[in-house]
Amino acid sequence: MHFVIQREQFVHSVQHVNKAVSSRTTIPILTGIKIDTSSEGVTLTGSDSDISIESFIPKTDEENEYVDIKETGSIVLQARFFADIVKKLPGDEIEISVQDQFATTLRSGSVVFNLNGLDPEEYPRLPKLEENQTFSLPQNLLKDMIRQTVFAVSTQETRPVLTGVNFENDKEQLTCTATDSHRLAMRTVATETDNDELSISNVVIPGKSLSELRQILEDTNDHVQIVVTDSQVLFKFKHLLFFSRLLDGKYPVTNNMIPEQSKTTMELSTKDLLHSLERALLLSKEAKNNVINFKTLEGSVIEINSVSAEVGKVTEKITCQSLEGEDLRISFNGKNIIDALKVIDSEFVHITFTGAMSPFVIRPGDHNQMLHLFSPVRTY
Amino acid sequence: MDWNEMQVQQPTVMNMLKRSIEKDRLAHAYIFEGMRGAGKKAVAMLMAQSLYCPYKQDAAPCGSCSECRRVEHGNHPDVMLLEPEGASIKKAQVEALQKELTYKGMETEVKIYIVNDADKMTASAANSLLKFLEEPESPTLALLLTENVHFMLDTIISRSQKISFAPPELERRIEMFEAQGSSKTAAALLAKLPDDVGGNYTGENSDWIVQGRALVIQLVEEVHHRPQQMLLTLQEKWLTHFKDREELDIGLDLLLFWYRDLLTVKYGQQNLAYPDLTERLEQQVILMSETEVAKRLQLILDAKRRLRANVNAQLLMEHLLLRLQEGS
Repeated sequence: MHFVIQREQFVHSVQHVNKAVSSRTTIPILTGIKIDTSSEGVTLTGSDSDISIESFIPKTDEENEYVDIKETGSIVLQARFFADIVKKLPGDEIEISVQDQFATTLRSGSVVFNLNGLDPEEYPRLPKLEENQTFSLPQNLLKDMIRQTVFAVSTQETRPVLTGVNFENDKEQLTCTATDSHRLAMRTVATETDNDELSISNVVIPGKSLSELRQILEDTNDHVQIVVTDSQVLFKFKHLLFFSRLLDGKYPVTNNMIPEQSKTTMELSTKDLLHSLERALLLSKEAKNNVINFKTLEGSVIEINSVSAEVGKVTEKITCQSLEGEDLRISFNGKNIIDALKVIDSEFVHITFTGAMSPFVIRPGDHNQMLHLFSPVRTY
Repeated sequence: MDWNEMQVQQPTVMNMLKRSIEKDRLAHAYIFEGMRGAGKKAVAMLMAQSLYCPYKQDAAPCGSCSECRRVEHGNHPDVMLLEPEGASIKKAQVEALQKELTYKGMETEVKIYIVNDADKMTASAANSLLKFLEEPESPTLALLLTENVHFMLDTIISRSQKISFAPPELERRIEMFEAQGSSKTAAALLAKLPDDVGGNYTGENSDWIVQGRALVIQLVEEVHHRPQQMLLTLQEKWLTHFKDREELDIGLDLLLFWYRDLLTVKYGQQNLAYPDLTERLEQQVILMSETEVAKRLQLILDAKRRLRANVNAQLLMEHLLLRLQEGS
């Protein structure tokens, strides 16, 4: 393998794929970054086996020539050193050539680095893509979806499948669900696909991978293509591929958990509720169970209070926009509600209760594409 | 290590695994049980290769394709190897494995995990393993390797298929110890020691056994030719070298091997524990009859037994040496 590449482009790509490389891997080859050159350009791959990032630098685009490929081939180089080295090289161009025994020479300006490479044959293969299970979303929308669901995934390993976000589609709608069995966050969006037979179900992407993906997603309208395979999911950007392994196991059916009727409904300002819960939590945090009591009063007023045996108690009244239905007294984990309110971007939220012992739902006031479900806490 | 080589060393095991692989009837978990050097890990690797190798013949993997090479070098993403960190396999290690298993395989359907020295799992680690050993979310193959199957939880044993490996032949054990950095003379001795003992004195620790060996040779010489010095040597060197009960037990073993060699030399057999000292052994054995040698062997065995009954080490050794000298 032998090529000369524009440094700036290369550094950018190396930094991208380096995000996927973990220093604490048990598989020795994964400490490296794989470099592949073909006649079209240079591909870099980094992986920690859970996620893999592939970055492509084309030989040329409309304006510039980035790579001059003299000989095709591949090599794996130690990521820890390689990433730092390319960042610190002085010249505008980097020349990389591989000799026998995977010995690699990096030249830039008057600097020469000789690195010991690893056998590229040993590097894990990324899945072959079948393009039929494909749909696309704008980047900023996907980013929002992740933000609005991923906080609700379980952090406990007792039910591993709950540590991921479940993706499921129904006709043109894509639904993301995350739950830790005490709360559930669900977000639906319309997707664009050319394939009428697209059917995605039980695609559970680890929460950790999604958080990582969120860092890469940009706030633009550009579309990202999503390809689902049996064992991995791929997010396809212009010159970047992000692979994540899927979680194994059956995701619980969540649709029938959501109550259809309601006994008490109310609408109130998101900010008011959020701030008041944060204040109430100051005390119940001390008691470590985050329990907050909530009750309806006369005339569209609700009362929020929390008690900590050692510290004291706090009471606050909020006036709702509207309040209908039966009187209610309920307790819940305030921390979970705060998490959800933080990702609801609407000014008002709509809350529907079905009694003190059954789960309740919070929806944004202005659209119907998001839903948060919570189970109450028994306090007696 | 290739399949055919193992086939020669462990015919029973290999035939059985071969049939299971060919008929696609592998169990979900196996315990490979056998002495150090019996080839458990090599067989585990071969199993993994056999499952992934696209060019295998019957059950034997080719050993040269990229799948086989990646398994061998620990670079295959779907083969996980757990080894003791320090003295034991900790719960955190098993939990990390469990987490890894909740993901779908990176490239393949079946994931394989190999637990080396599975008896060294802490109780809580073993119990964590138990959780996913029996009911994995997806197809997995567990290979638990152990030298002491009885130290493993009954619940784990009952959920796995146990395969016993035949102990390796003496020559192979000698080769193995040599490969681990012991000298030729030390390796011959180590190979004769019980498995769990010999393994502790390889490589860097082999000095101890080499010195112990020199002491045995000196002491035997003195017992038979300069008896006035033997108690001095015992006091100054022997007891400072073989300090505690376990070490003294090994010392007595080394002594025992000497007398056994005497008997072996008399009958012109091979496989000596002191192969480089054949001449000296021959000289000594001329002066003794078989019964006399046998009697001394009995004396050492008696001493070993008494050692276990908490007899004072110095008294025990003095008593033994005097009687060895008298030959009665």
